[in-house]
Amino acid sequence: MRRNPGKNTENDMLRELDLDIEKTLRDTIEREFKGKVSTELEEKLREKLKAELSDEVRNRVLRIKEELEAELSKKEEKPKEKEYLRFGLSFRIQHWVLLGSCLVLIITGIPLKFHETGWARVFFGLMGGVKTSGLIHRVGAAGLGFVAVFHVFYTFFSREGRHDFKELIPRPKDFLDFLTMVKYFLGISKTKPRFGRFSYVEKFDYWAVYWGMVIMLGSGIILWFHNAILRVFPKFVADIAREAHSDEGLLATLAIIIWHFYNAHLNPDNFPMNWAWITGRITESTMLHHHPIEYERMIGEKVAKGMKESENVKSS
Amino acid sequence: MPRSFSFLFVGLVAASLSLLVLSSKDILALTKCTICHGKRELRKIQPTGKLVSLYVDEWVLQNSVHAKQACTDCHSDVVEIPHKGKLVEKVNCTRCHYRGNPAGAPQMVKYTEYAESVHGIAARAGNQKAPVCQDCHGAHNVRKHADPQSGMWRGTISETCGRCHLEVYSVYRESIHGRAVKEGKLDSAVCTDCHGEHSIKSPENPESTVYLTNIPQTCPKCHAPKGIASKYGIKTGQVKTFEDSFHGIGIKFGMKTVASCASCHGVHDIRAADDLRSTVHIKNIPTTCGKCHSGANINYAKGRIHVDPKKKESGAIFYVSFFFKWLTISVMLGLLAHMALDLSRRARERKR
Repeated sequence: MRRNPGKNTENDMLRELDLDIEKTLRDTIEREFKGKVSTELEEKLREKLKAELSDEVRNRVLRIKEELEAELSKKEEKPKEKEYLRFGLSFRIQHWVLLGSCLVLIITGIPLKFHETGWARVFFGLMGGVKTSGLIHRVGAAGLGFVAVFHVFYTFFSREGRHDFKELIPRPKDFLDFLTMVKYFLGISKTKPRFGRFSYVEKFDYWAVYWGMVIMLGSGIILWFHNAILRVFPKFVADIAREAHSDEGLLATLAIIIWHFYNAHLNPDNFPMNWAWITGRITESTMLHHHPIEYERMIGEKVAKGMKESENVKSS
Repeated sequence: MPRSFSFLFVGLVAASLSLLVLSSKDILALTKCTICHGKRELRKIQPTGKLVSLYVDEWVLQNSVHAKQACTDCHSDVVEIPHKGKLVEKVNCTRCHYRGNPAGAPQMVKYTEYAESVHGIAARAGNQKAPVCQDCHGAHNVRKHADPQSGMWRGTISETCGRCHLEVYSVYRESIHGRAVKEGKLDSAVCTDCHGEHSIKSPENPESTVYLTNIPQTCPKCHAPKGIASKYGIKTGQVKTFEDSFHGIGIKFGMKTVASCASCHGVHDIRAADDLRSTVHIKNIPTTCGKCHSGANINYAKGRIHVDPKKKESGAIFYVSFFFKWLTISVMLGLLAHMALDLSRRARERKR
């Protein structure tokens, strides 16, 4: 609680101070100069001293008060909650490129599937015709392809990527977690499952993107380079590619718009947004709430590290 | 005999006399003209040296829609008989055929389309070969188009066009459409079904029914499921499958570098796919597709050309479509159920 004394009390205080100073001065001057100087001089001296002193004191009081207030307000700001790095920069950049590519691909792709509708016509009009939209679609496709290739390299050749990939491999625990979650939803169980670095929901999203990438890039390449492909493969291969591309495109779009948006944005835990995809950071409380096992592992590692360090100190 | 009766008698006589005079007027006129023009040997030599017969067959005129008209009703520039060698102008049909004409000549908006047609524009520009009304409808032998004797009859109209468009007609005559007409299937496409009648425009004109991007609306007039093609047991699914294809979508949104129906099936030379000379015969597919797709080979013929993923006959494509349909439904239901359970649990938590 910050004390904010009103103007009146402050003035009262200062007036009291003035009176105090006057009294003290009177006493002191009487003690020092008693009978040595005329009363007139005494009076003058006292007046002068009083003016100087009260000014000085007044200024000091105000300055110190300000300083104290500033200090107090600083103290009252919530101490910043501890944060941990959840996603490294490379991981975040991959997500940004993926997001941008997907948006472009959806906007230019979905109207093709629903070409009979009025809004599809509006979309193609806005994009400057079906030829231009096709060009934009291929730019998006290049972005998606880049992320796919980059991510494979990231998985194999970076420590972060290797570690995360291991964490993302589905395990029996994920299925059990899912069952526990359903029980919790239905009120059968009182507790939520405890997740590690990635919950079964996040793992599902990751592997859904994997599946989508394989289908969309595979069929998309066939469609993009159909002339070259058809020199080698029969026409029905291109037809299958087209059907798969169209259908998986819709499935991916629905999954992103409904499922991923719910989890990342609309879910009351995250509303309006889970910022980790931009900052890469996660607060300690969120960590404890959503990824307790991961938290414990991290703390355990730290403790072990500390022990090692202290051992090293002892042995040296 | 009362006086009024005698008046009536006189009136009736006068009326019948005047009727006789009126009705005999055209006969009179005709007989007057046929004094010369009824002779088969009446002809003249044009400055070009060409012989032109000036013989008019009375029978033809009597059986035309203009049987009741006198010669001078149309040949209005003839004011005295004989006309002393004065050149008789080509008849202008719009003397009678205009909106609200008192002669009761049929008038349809259709006629006015002629002025904007490729024929009308050429004729106005002074092209002597461009057809005017008489060139298609006939001069003295104008008949209703439903009359098999008319040049406008479905069975003979293509021949009529062929009088000028001989090359096109000779190709068309051998096409599946032309042969069907020859066999008496008058529903089959004749020139005017694709090109229009009075409104014929150049295929390069974006307003033309046979302009590249308009073809996909022209063929379905017969080949759509509700068209007459179904009457003859011809498959009609191709319209929908084309519209859903990349070709169809491209054409619909104005692309000029994609195939329309005619790009593959031909124009005047359309034939059945099992006809060796057909552009869509399996042997000719590489050539036909190769018009646009570099390196096209027999692979283009492996698999259906018009694919409907919703039909079992499409084979693998049907199963791919089927698989994705159920995958999408089940995945989305699962995810939505998960979300609904999540939210309902939260709602209960909040109530407590």
